[in-house]
This record gives sequence, structure tokens and C-alpha cells, in this order.
Amino acid sequence: MNELLIKLSECIEFGKINMASPYPPQMKGQEGADEITRRALEEGVPPQDILSNGLMPGMERIGVKFRENKVFVPQVLMSAKAMSTAMLHLKPHFLSGAAKQKGTFIIGTVLGDLHDIGKNLVGMMVEGNGYKVIDLGTDVGSEKFIESVRQNPEAVVGLSALLTTTMVNMEKITREIKEAMPGTLVTIGGAPVNNDFCSKIGADNYSPDPQGVVEYLNSKIS
Amino acid sequence: MHGLSLIKQAIRLKPVSRIPWVPFVGVHAGYLIGVDAEEYLKSSKYMIAGLSKAIELYKPDGIPVSFDLQLEAEILGCKLKWAKENPPAVVSHPLVEGTLLSSLKIPEAHEGRIPLVLETTRTLRASHPEIALYGLITGPFTLALHLLGTDIFMKLFEDPEYVMEVMNFCTDVAVKYSEMLIDAGCDVIAVVDPMTSQIDPLSFETFVTPFASRIFDFVRQKQKLSSFFVCGHAQQNIEAMCDCRPDNISIDENIPLEFVKEIALAKNISFGGNMKLTVVLLMGDADDAKQDALACMDSGGNIGFILAPGCDLPMQTPVENIQAVSELVFSQYLQDIARNLDEKESKLDIMNMKDYGQSDKVIVDIITLDSESCAPCQYMVEAVKRIAPHFDGVVEWREHPIKKMEAVSFMSSMMVKNIPTICIDGKIVFVSQIPPQSQLIEAIQKRINEKLKLRIKSKRSEILILGETEKECAELTKKVKRAIAELGKNITVTVVADKAQMNSYGIKKGPAVVTVNYKMKSSATVPSLDVIKEWVKEI
Repeated sequence: MNELLIKLSECIEFGKINMASPYPPQMKGQEGADEITRRALEEGVPPQDILSNGLMPGMERIGVKFRENKVFVPQVLMSAKAMSTAMLHLKPHFLSGAAKQKGTFIIGTVLGDLHDIGKNLVGMMVEGNGYKVIDLGTDVGSEKFIESVRQNPEAVVGLSALLTTTMVNMEKITREIKEAMPGTLVTIGGAPVNNDFCSKIGADNYSPDPQGVVEYLNSKIS
Repeated sequence: MHGLSLIKQAIRLKPVSRIPWVPFVGVHAGYLIGVDAEEYLKSSKYMIAGLSKAIELYKPDGIPVSFDLQLEAEILGCKLKWAKENPPAVVSHPLVEGTLLSSLKIPEAHEGRIPLVLETTRTLRASHPEIALYGLITGPFTLALHLLGTDIFMKLFEDPEYVMEVMNFCTDVAVKYSEMLIDAGCDVIAVVDPMTSQIDPLSFETFVTPFASRIFDFVRQKQKLSSFFVCGHAQQNIEAMCDCRPDNISIDENIPLEFVKEIALAKNISFGGNMKLTVVLLMGDADDAKQDALACMDSGGNIGFILAPGCDLPMQTPVENIQAVSELVFSQYLQDIARNLDEKESKLDIMNMKDYGQSDKVIVDIITLDSESCAPCQYMVEAVKRIAPHFDGVVEWREHPIKKMEAVSFMSSMMVKNIPTICIDGKIVFVSQIPPQSQLIEAIQKRINEKLKLRIKSKRSEILILGETEKECAELTKKVKRAIAELGKNITVTVVADKAQMNSYGIKKGPAVVTVNYKMKSSATVPSLDVIKEWVKEI
């Protein structure tokens, strides 16, 4: 495989954004995700390869480390930042059709809840694994989710909640999405929810960590 | 020993006679007096009323004066979004919106909602000198996150010096607010820093340890106690938390209590937690709450452990669930019962008790914890033992101590819920109270009479037709049945086609009619309907 892509996947895994970035110390002064992606495109590496063989393996490795408690939120955010820097160079190619994303994921924190750290992490991780992510933000009600599903009928919806008082809104939102757009898959997550709650409210999946959402999407979409 | 002393004892790692308990009542206190979270947190009158109610209902050894991690942030310029059923949420982060760190001032006692908390503290101090008052402050990392938003996570790597400056400022805020709370009467300063659960141990040691340690040193210098609260998946940082030298650490259900116990006690630090907030306290029932509390108490033990929910109680937590925990905390006896049931219920064999109590004797079952160690059980057993000789040979009694597996099965099969309980012939008769001798005798006598009546009734209502073959009995049987039907009686007719049985009734030749008083009415003939009717009338 292309040396550049191996290097790129390491930049993603360790959160090396660009040459100027001081983090991680062991990669100080080296090229980061920004420079390597640009160079790969210049050298004619297909955008799809950059996504599939550079960005995605790096995101997957950091996702697994996060699940195994080897790294925590700050490290994952650095990886996600490196990834989104690389994505800036790839975006035009997605628009032109030269590279394809695996599918679409709509995510939001449910009505009444303003917590977004977990939701953002999941969004970034899913995007880094080759999906188009539509982030509806926090405090999102059924209508906004449904409208977004109408525009992206194949999309899977992710609901996030941190509060015991707002997790109950997941039930209503899940039901209304499924009434309006039957067949839409809904996956849930957040500190107070679990598998039992997921089956109780009729959602399709619960994941305790972002990598779990990626694996669920991979099993359903790609 | 009153609550405050008990908590001090636990924190000093001295064995306690009873595990102390601190329900983390925040906006839940508003629920207790029927006001919403916003009204509650904005009024010292409501806070005093709500907490007084909580103290009355839950009999805590310690209680937080407020559980509001937005109070300092609001004064420092974070915008809040208020909610009815939750504490407010921080929705803006001044340091990423143009505010300079150098322009932020350390809050004074008259600012924001601080006066409300201080007034509540003073009032509760006066009315409840026996309870440990916990003054909760926002931990420096969580406050820094309020000021910087999630950018703080990346700044740990990209601009570590700036993060240190922000942390230093947040620690100044924490020390100042701690001082106000201590001066108003708080006994324990709890540094609540849930956001530290999101970082790794190295980042914790670099960015949190120096600052948190400074707060705990300050509290120690003021000769008060301190606790370090985290919620969430913070298992990786427990050791680092202990190294900040708080007097206590408190965690939620995301971390196994045994794990925390081992690390904390090894470092001579007391610990607390971690009843399950949502699945048990909020959504479960009183029995679930008791079982969970018991599991925590059994893991925690009586040295250095304080029982508490994992975090701030959800506003609408059912009152009866927290009361159930409180009852359990105060009663060794309830703990023993819950412990025995808990261990054994899962392995139960539910017996079919449909035919229980049909023997000739009257069976008295006493379900106890163990009459040797439980006083009410002992008295109940003695009461039965004392009256049994009055019913010489007719009454048989047994004790079922639920420390034995079979007894738990028996208890569940009989649907007995309380201990001790007396059942007579399979029916629950006396629950929890020890009956006076006269009542016990009366209940047993009643059952003897019932049984006697039943026996007499059943014997009177039977007619036997005996013969060598069924065919021989056929005509007579038909006639007897007709006689019974015409007289409108409810009598069972039994055909016995068996030579040996005929002999046992002294019948030489069939068909024969025998009524239940075992008197032969006829033999070797089929009497007329009218004659049979006369016999039936006799029954």
C-alpha cells in the first residue's frame, strides 16, 4: 500500500493535525494529516483510497483504543481534528462524485438536552469511518429529525441524551420518526440509557461507545 | 451517635456501629415541596423548606446544601438555560467568545446565587447541628470546561500553558467559595468534578492534581473535611484522585465499589457511593432500592464507607425508594432479612401448596429469620411452643428460619412477605406481631373446628354401593342416584366392585348400600326407591 496513506493513518490515530502542531510530541516537526492529504492528492492517489486506506484505518484504531480505555476524549478529539483537516481537502471530490461515502448518518441530542460532547464524538467518529454525517445539534425535536430523514431517506438516525429526564423523549422521537418514515433505523446512546431501554422504546440499536455505532452502521449500510 | 460524628468516624477510618448515609438531594428537594428546579434554585426559602423536608423524610447523616454545578459559572458570565426538572445547563463559554481570562474576577459572597446558598447553610446549621452539611463546589476542571467549552480538551495538547492558567483561576474561585461555605457552617467541602472522567490519568496528573490538591489542603487547614466527587467512567483516575489527598472520594455506579474501596483504603482515604441512580432509584421500586443499598453496604463495609447515591438524585425519584434505603440503613434487622432473601431467592424452588394443610393434624408454621438471633422471631416461636401442649397431639408446629434455603422456598411458596409470620395449615394468620396466647389458641381452635366440620361433612355425604362386579351394582346405583336427585341432596355415590372390600364392611353378598356412618342398610337385594329415599333422608 501507498507509504503516504500508512503515514496518514498514523497521523489520524495519534492526532497529528499539521506540521506546526506540537502534538503528539513524538511526531513534532513532521508532516501532519493536512500536508500528507494534500500531497497524496497531488501525486494522484484516488480520493477514495485516501478515505478508505488512510483516514478510516486511523479512525478505526483510535476508536478501538477508546473503547478499550487506552485513550480518552482529548486524544479522540485530536484524532477527529486531524481527520476533519484531511476531509477539507477531500470534500470537493465527494461533491463531484469522485469519492463516495458509505451512507448517511443523522445525529442529534434529543429535545430538552443540551449536552453535546458524546454526540460530537460519535459524529466525528462516524464521519471518519467514511459516512456523511448530518449533525442537527442539541435540543432537537421529532420534526427536525423527520424533515432530515425525508431529505435523506436511506439515512440511519442517532439519538443522544445525557439526562434521565430527557432520555424519555427518545421514546417519543423514535416512535414519531418510525411513524413518519417507516423502516428508518434508530440507534441510541448516552450515559443513562442501555440495551433494555433501547428495546423498551422500540429503537433498533444501543451502543455504549462511538465505535459501536460505526460497527452498527457498517453492518446495516455498507 | 449523631450523623456528623458518624461521618467523621467513617472519614477517620474508625469502625462504625452503623454505616452513615448521605442522600445527594439537589433539585429533588424542590420536588418534595412541589416547586420546579428553577424556582427551587432561585429561592433560599424553597431550599430551606425542601432540605428540611428531605431531612425529615430520609433521616440523613449528612446532606448537601446545594447541588448546582452552574452557580460559579453563571457569575463568571456563562449563560444558563433553565429547566423545570433539572439543574440549569451552561450554554455559552465566555473564554471562547472573546472574554479574556484576565478580565474575570473571583466571585464575592454577594454575587449570583451565592447568598441563597449561604443563607440556606446558616439556617440548616442552626436547625440541624447534628447533621453533616456538605458544601458542594464546582471542581476546577469542570468549571474550566464551562468557561472554555470542549475546546479545553484539545488545548490540553495545543496550548497547555493556557489551560494551566485557566485551571489556576478556577482553583482560586473554588478556594474562595469553599471558605464562604465553611464560614457559613459547612462541615464537608465536596469538590464535584465530573468532567475529569473524560481524561486520561496522565492528563489528570498534569492538569488537575496540582489544583485539586490545593483546594483539599485549604480545607484541611480550615480544619474541615473534604470529599472528591466524580461521576461517569472515571475508573482510570481513582488512584490519581486519591493522590490529591481529599478525606473522601465518592463515585457513581460506573465504577465498581470494590475497586474504589481497595485503592482508597490502601491510601487511607474513606470512600462513598454508589447506588444506581436511574435503573434503581428513579425507575425501580422500594425493594430494588433496598437490595441495591444493601449490596453497596456489604461491599463498602463498616470502615471508611459512606452510603450515597451515585450522583445528584434525579428530581422525580420516588420518595418511597429513598425512604426504603433510610429504613434499611437504620435497621440491622431489615438488612439481615434483605441479605438472606437476596442470596436465596434466585435459587428458589416454588412448591405447590394446593393440598397443604389437609392432614388430620393442624400444622402451625413459623417463618423466621432465625429465632436465635432475631428477637421478634424468638418471641413468636415461644408463643407457639407455649400453647402447643394445650392441643395434645393435634397441633404440630415447625420453625422455618430463612437462613436455610428450604425455608426461603417455603416462604415464597406460601407467599409470605414479612418476617416473622405464623401460618396455620398453609394460611397466613399472624404477620410481624406476636399474637397474645388467647388469640393464638382461638385461631388454632377455629381451624380445628373447621377441619372437624369438613371431615364430618364429607363422611355424611357419601353412599357406597358394594358388589362383586360393576354390573351387579348397576341397577342399585341408578336407583340411589335417582333418590338423591329427587331429594335434591348433594351426596357422592361411590361404586366399590371388590369382594375384599365387601368383606371388610361385613357384606357377604352384593349389591349393598352403605351410608357414611358405616352402617349397613341392605344386603343381597335391591330395595325400592322409597326405602332408599328414607336412607338418604337420614344422611
